[in-house]
Amino acid sequence: MNPIKLALTYLRIGVLNEMQYRINFFIQLLQSFISVATGLIGLSLVFGQVNTLAGWSRSELLAVMGVHLLMGGVIRSIIQPNMERLMDDVRNGTLDFALTKPADAQTLVSVREFRFWQLVDVIVGMVVISIAFVQLKGTLGILQLLGFLAALIMGGVMLYCVWLMVTSISFWVIRVHEISNLFEGLYAAGRWPVGIYPDWLRTGLTFLVPVAFAVTVPAEALTNRLSGTSLLFALGMTLLFVILSRGLWRLGLSNYSGASS
Amino acid sequence: MTPTISVSKLSKHYKVPEREGGMKAAVISLFNRKYRTVKAVDDISFSIEPGEIVGFLGPNGAGKTTTLKVLSGLLHPTSGAVNVLGYEPTKRSHDYLRQVALVMGNRNQLSWDLPAIDSFELQRAIYGIPVLEFKKTRDDFIDLLELKDLVNKPIRNLSLGERMKMEIVGALLHRPKVLFLDEPTIGLDVTMQRRIRAFIKEYNQRWGATVLLTSHYMADVEALCKRVIVIHHGHTLFDGELSSLVTQFSSFKTLGVTLPNPEVDLSQYGEVLTRDGARVTLRVAKAKTSQVTANLLSDLQVDDLTVEDTPIDDVIDSVFTSTEETK
Repeated sequence: MNPIKLALTYLRIGVLNEMQYRINFFIQLLQSFISVATGLIGLSLVFGQVNTLAGWSRSELLAVMGVHLLMGGVIRSIIQPNMERLMDDVRNGTLDFALTKPADAQTLVSVREFRFWQLVDVIVGMVVISIAFVQLKGTLGILQLLGFLAALIMGGVMLYCVWLMVTSISFWVIRVHEISNLFEGLYAAGRWPVGIYPDWLRTGLTFLVPVAFAVTVPAEALTNRLSGTSLLFALGMTLLFVILSRGLWRLGLSNYSGASS
Repeated sequence: MTPTISVSKLSKHYKVPEREGGMKAAVISLFNRKYRTVKAVDDISFSIEPGEIVGFLGPNGAGKTTTLKVLSGLLHPTSGAVNVLGYEPTKRSHDYLRQVALVMGNRNQLSWDLPAIDSFELQRAIYGIPVLEFKKTRDDFIDLLELKDLVNKPIRNLSLGERMKMEIVGALLHRPKVLFLDEPTIGLDVTMQRRIRAFIKEYNQRWGATVLLTSHYMADVEALCKRVIVIHHGHTLFDGELSSLVTQFSSFKTLGVTLPNPEVDLSQYGEVLTRDGARVTLRVAKAKTSQVTANLLSDLQVDDLTVEDTPIDDVIDSVFTSTEETK
């Protein structure tokens, strides 16, 4: 089974079903506006005091906020729902059904859920990024755009890998739901460029929970700060995360024996 | 003919952490954990021919589900060899998984919020079923189980029985050659059980599928399975025809006698089980049945007399209790 075709089938059916619940669209829209508003207030508070923050101007930080919003939408629409369902499946023993299917189990558990309306955050994030970009009077070269997209995709893949690793722990420890709250807290730190944080936190946000790669690096690409070396480093990290998470997932699977026998 | 399923000397042992109740024991177990080995399945062997429907019987915890999970590739055997359709299930090769199905009566695979018709579409994508074949199979199954008006409703709005029928359709859309059914009728009413039973039989006959079925309802087993395998504490107790299980393990018959005079005492003829007005049931040793029947008819005025085998539930029960006693 072609994994892309499989993912698209799940996507199509997920979208068709969520379309029935239009009220969710408005709720989500409201939520997005609230997070944009609080973000803007935070920005104006900071820039009431200083003119730059760790070398980032106001408009540049607006771009960071946009990327943070966009990536948050990706997490909440695809990554988090799938991983939470995986945790439930492990606890209830219903993962058995996924494992008796003629498809790669990791692919299958990663594409089954899709929260369509959470994509509102992705759209709003893109709008915020565009506004920031206009304020910066920047020109978007093709290389810059490609760098941004590459950084964005790699950041998303890394976040997925971390989620998968954390979720794989549920094969040993059945109760890991609290971990998604912890993750959300750490992700919130990505609203600011990681350069403003003390070293220990910056290291954690780079290597443990790669918020740095998911938000700061794409924003650097947009604001002409990204070097080819950083991008290459991000690529190396992405591969490392992919390999590690796949390994841990397989180890967890071999340990899995169903919630009851 | 090569058997579809062959299991030889299969054992599956679990290591489970064990501690006594109470706070102190809980703290100790954090540092010094004791393990106990549970022999869920211990040295069982059997083989099943193509097209057979075999009932897999045993009390809770006998090792039935564990065996089904080994057969469907979910668990690795501790020792022994398992072969299904020429594959080693543990390898979980896609070619193998495409030809089998696992249905668990107490767990659902269909998405709670989606209408069944959408979940079926997902099954089609996962198994890569050609569209025309898929539609035909789906519509056939929907007709057979009378689900036409329900497929567009979200699963959460269906009754337990309707949901189970949907589960079965979803699990069989790829037309598996081998079915592992773990209590497919659990918790359902009699009509629904009968409908599902009929469907399993129909599926087996139409496609020559091999079925291994566990159930606590003897009616399922009697209706579907010529052959049964009885396991208890991980061991095989019996493997053979259902009818010979009855002859082998039941040494009694039940006599039903209707008398015009209900006052007569029948205890000299056998153990009186029930007395309901003029109707009396007696338990009589199998070897003595004809003698007792003759005596009853010559000694008394009898309106009606029936001779029956012990009900299968009681036979199974006596199989388990007799092995408990010999242990």
